[in-house]
Amino acid sequence: MKILIAISSKKYSSQTLDVGMSVAKAFSAKTTIVDVGDKINQFSLKEVGVARERMESWDLDRPGIDVLEWAFDFLSENEFIEKNEIESGFPKNTLIERGGRRSEVFLKGTVCDDVSLILRNGEIIEELISEVQKEVYDVTIIGKSQNSKKDYELSQYIDSSIFIVNNYKPDRNYKVLLAIYELPGIKKAIKYSVRIAQAFNIGIEIITISKDSETVDNYKPIGEWAAKFLRRNKINFTTTFEVGDAVTIINKKADKNHILIMSSESSNPLKTFFKGNTPLKILKDTQSSVLIVK
Amino acid sequence: MFGPSNQLLNNLLFWVSRKKWLITTFFISITIFYLPTPEGLTPEGHRTLIIVVTALILIISESIPIPAVALLILIMEVVLGIDSPNGVASTFMSDAVFFIMGSLMLAVAIVHQGLDRHLALMIIRLTGNKTWRISFGFVGVSAIMSSFIGEHTVAAMMLPVALSLLKNSGISIDRSTKISTLLLFSIAYGCALGSIGTPSGGGRNAIMIGYFSEFGLANISYLDWMKYTYPMLLIEIPLAAAILWYTFPPEKKILDSAVRKLKVDVTKSGPLNSDQKLSIIVFVFVFIGWIFLSPKIGLGIVALSGVFLYLSFRLIEWNDIALRMNWGIVILFGSAISLGIQMKDTGAANWLAQSFLEFFQLFVSDMTIVSWFFSVVLCSVMTNLLSNAATVAVLGPIVLDLGIDPVIMGMATSVASAFAYLTIVASPTCMIIHSTGLVRSKDFFKAGWKLFIVSIVLLFLISFIYWPMLS
Repeated sequence: MKILIAISSKKYSSQTLDVGMSVAKAFSAKTTIVDVGDKINQFSLKEVGVARERMESWDLDRPGIDVLEWAFDFLSENEFIEKNEIESGFPKNTLIERGGRRSEVFLKGTVCDDVSLILRNGEIIEELISEVQKEVYDVTIIGKSQNSKKDYELSQYIDSSIFIVNNYKPDRNYKVLLAIYELPGIKKAIKYSVRIAQAFNIGIEIITISKDSETVDNYKPIGEWAAKFLRRNKINFTTTFEVGDAVTIINKKADKNHILIMSSESSNPLKTFFKGNTPLKILKDTQSSVLIVK
Repeated sequence: MFGPSNQLLNNLLFWVSRKKWLITTFFISITIFYLPTPEGLTPEGHRTLIIVVTALILIISESIPIPAVALLILIMEVVLGIDSPNGVASTFMSDAVFFIMGSLMLAVAIVHQGLDRHLALMIIRLTGNKTWRISFGFVGVSAIMSSFIGEHTVAAMMLPVALSLLKNSGISIDRSTKISTLLLFSIAYGCALGSIGTPSGGGRNAIMIGYFSEFGLANISYLDWMKYTYPMLLIEIPLAAAILWYTFPPEKKILDSAVRKLKVDVTKSGPLNSDQKLSIIVFVFVFIGWIFLSPKIGLGIVALSGVFLYLSFRLIEWNDIALRMNWGIVILFGSAISLGIQMKDTGAANWLAQSFLEFFQLFVSDMTIVSWFFSVVLCSVMTNLLSNAATVAVLGPIVLDLGIDPVIMGMATSVASAFAYLTIVASPTCMIIHSTGLVRSKDFFKAGWKLFIVSIVLLFLISFIYWPMLS
């Protein structure tokens, strides 16, 4: 299992790191933290590269390394990782080019097997999609963007499950809200819900939604399977059935105290491109953190 | 995760979402192709304008890599029947392209020598520890140096000096402060205004000299160029420094301990070593060659001779040049010059110039000032959106056809292309300081618009008062 946590700045990334590492621990996953710096205009790519080389010769870190250094210290201080300081480590923060606009960062004199640090430059959606394609992550975790179009596009195109952290506060009493509204892929979403519930030591509310009263019976077997699975994993849960439009019902139900988990709709990408799908529509307005399982 | 076929379709849709402008450009080009050729424009001129529109949209939108745009220009020139393959090849390579290529190679070689520590020592010895003097020194030194060795080279060398000063003064260098903004803009704007000073200050200057010579309008030597532009450069240094000082008044007025620490740090690196001395000597020879030999052998050949010497003396390895050179820009400049020549040869430039004149003659009778403003403002706005050399390459043939003294129009256009103050993408120098994370996007406009207006007013006065005295 591989998890990618995307951060952007010291000011806004602590929630994402906190949630991301809790999830990574629950999945016993190998974790990569990526910071995507500003896109560099093509006319200036080489020139900026040369300027950065000069900065390094003066022992000045490239922009972005400070964010990764802060993230590393944050994880160490919060005991998510064990930071080992060694004399034989790199004498200064070091970047190793890994092809394209991707560099791996090794911090001065430290080693940590649990976490890799990656620095990229470019348009954030393109870079994250490229990172996921290259390294094949199972889950990407990112803070909610002020620009909802970014979250929408990322969720639409990225080839991994995606967890968008929104309004997260560690002292709040959370519950997982597991939305079951279509059958393909739902077992994976249920399994992920259990892991998330275990990571945060919280219960699960299952909401099963049927478009109309005639199809309610179709969801009964999966509801029973979910209940059995949750009981076996000793998770507290409640179940409710609703009939109607999934977007409206979920948006009404999910609030800041929920971590909303749903499976990605199996609709044709072309249809999603023009019309969107249920998770993408919910993502637009929701106040909850959302995990879309693909 | 997606299944294989859905994955393929999803990747395709993602490509489409990212290449909207490429697709739009394709349809625009097809539409223009099927429009009737306007009266007074040749069919070849009509097709040349399709390439101009295509290239401009693709460069601004960055929807495909810049070298791909450059190659597309050459391909379209042949496929649309504007010129033969050999004709296109001959317009692609010229002394101006040699000069741009040689200058970029020289820039890599100079930066490679690690002269920045000595430069830092020189600056702080000159300026002392007062912040306003340091800022003024940064503008002045960046301007003077970039007039000879190119703006991005100077910016790359000056950047660590500024960041070290900030770091040594205890100012955080992971967030923007007024003093960091002041010092970094002092470098960027100093480099921008310095780039007008000599032909080697920027590729666009060499392009304009190439057009003067190619179209039989004038022969401007290295020294002639300096006579035209250096006074403006010297006047702009204090103006730019003052604008920056009042726009970003720093938190610290004196950087005493920072300067002392920097002095100690750079003194440790010792005196100039033999390679550094030799590299300075080679550059001085190149500079002398530009002044005295370029009228006979061309600016480009002199620059390439300098590169030859750097390589022969093993001051730099070819691999370092190959790795750090922006080859895509060289190809783009070659293509842009080729397109400029085709605009002239097919009459497209003349048709655009005449259309402009006919339109404005409806409102004003004396077109001199209107044409000047049109060229300067259009060029300086375009330079803030795309490459300044590409701007000059495309606009050059049009402004030279406006019927006003071509030297004044050409020089004004070339100088205006240095007014890259308003956006991050305006020049590599702006991108270099922005890439530190210490300069916010809005700061470019905050200081830039003032310097932009001052520069246009100054250029106007110089164009109509000083330059006529030279011709």
